[in-house]
Amino acid sequence: MASMRITDGHLEVVMEGLDKLWTFRTRLTIPLANVRGATVDPGIASDFKGVRAPGTHIPGLIIAGTFHHDGDKVFWHVKDASKAIVVELADEEYTRLVLQVDDPRAAVALVENALA
Amino acid sequence: MRTVLAMGRPRAFDEDEVVRAAVGLFGGRAYDGVSVDDLVTHLGVHRNSLYKTFGSKRGLYLIALRRHLADDVRPLLDALADAKDAEGALRLVTSADLRLLLLAAIERSPVDEEVAFEVTSALDSVDRAIADALGVPTDVATALTAAALGILLRGNPDKVATALTRHLGPLTRKGT
Repeated sequence: MASMRITDGHLEVVMEGLDKLWTFRTRLTIPLANVRGATVDPGIASDFKGVRAPGTHIPGLIIAGTFHHDGDKVFWHVKDASKAIVVELADEEYTRLVLQVDDPRAAVALVENALA
Repeated sequence: MRTVLAMGRPRAFDEDEVVRAAVGLFGGRAYDGVSVDDLVTHLGVHRNSLYKTFGSKRGLYLIALRRHLADDVRPLLDALADAKDAEGALRLVTSADLRLLLLAAIERSPVDEEVAFEVTSALDSVDRAIADALGVPTDVATALTAAALGILLRGNPDKVATALTRHLGPLTRKGT
């Protein structure tokens, strides 16, 4: 599970709970100028995720860490796919973040409203 | 040589075609009724490419909405410029494909400022086109647009439009 908040023109993502041990990253801070948008996307977990490095993919349990797909570097932190959102970035280490959040619609609204 | 050049810049998909297909999808099922899975399936574009090109589902939606305004509402404005009377104006509006505009007005305008701006501007343009063509005040034109959209929503364009315009006889250029 990840929690998100907007502070000082930045999107701050904090990995919470014991699951954060899988990701090697517990906090990501991204300038809003580098955030392109956010989308509720429960279907992404069953799509091809690419090659993990370094990351963990235990089917049915957790997808966490860094995955490489078509030249994109994607950060995953998802246990419950039904609560997955995608945050698209530009000019950042990661092309994309795939995060499990408590309330996907609220999280997407938070990001989209901060960009407007 | 031409082939080599074309291969030098590979395009995974035709963006223009994808946006047009998105207009149909969002116009038929609304914003919340279309998942990213639906977009991947119906637009024939990989998830990665969707996010890379449009940033988010909302990003694609905004582009699709603007495309709808350019492709479907703009021609309506041009046609309205030649409307001779209220009946003609009503017929043009009620026979136009305004599905995405109407859904956007109801579903997304209240929660998305950019959508609200596009929808309001488009409807204002329709009002102005009717006002200019018929030589009536803008508020009267706005009432006609509102009636036309209502008739469109009720799904009974011909009969109701005729009944209404029968009482609006003087609302023509010649009559004013």
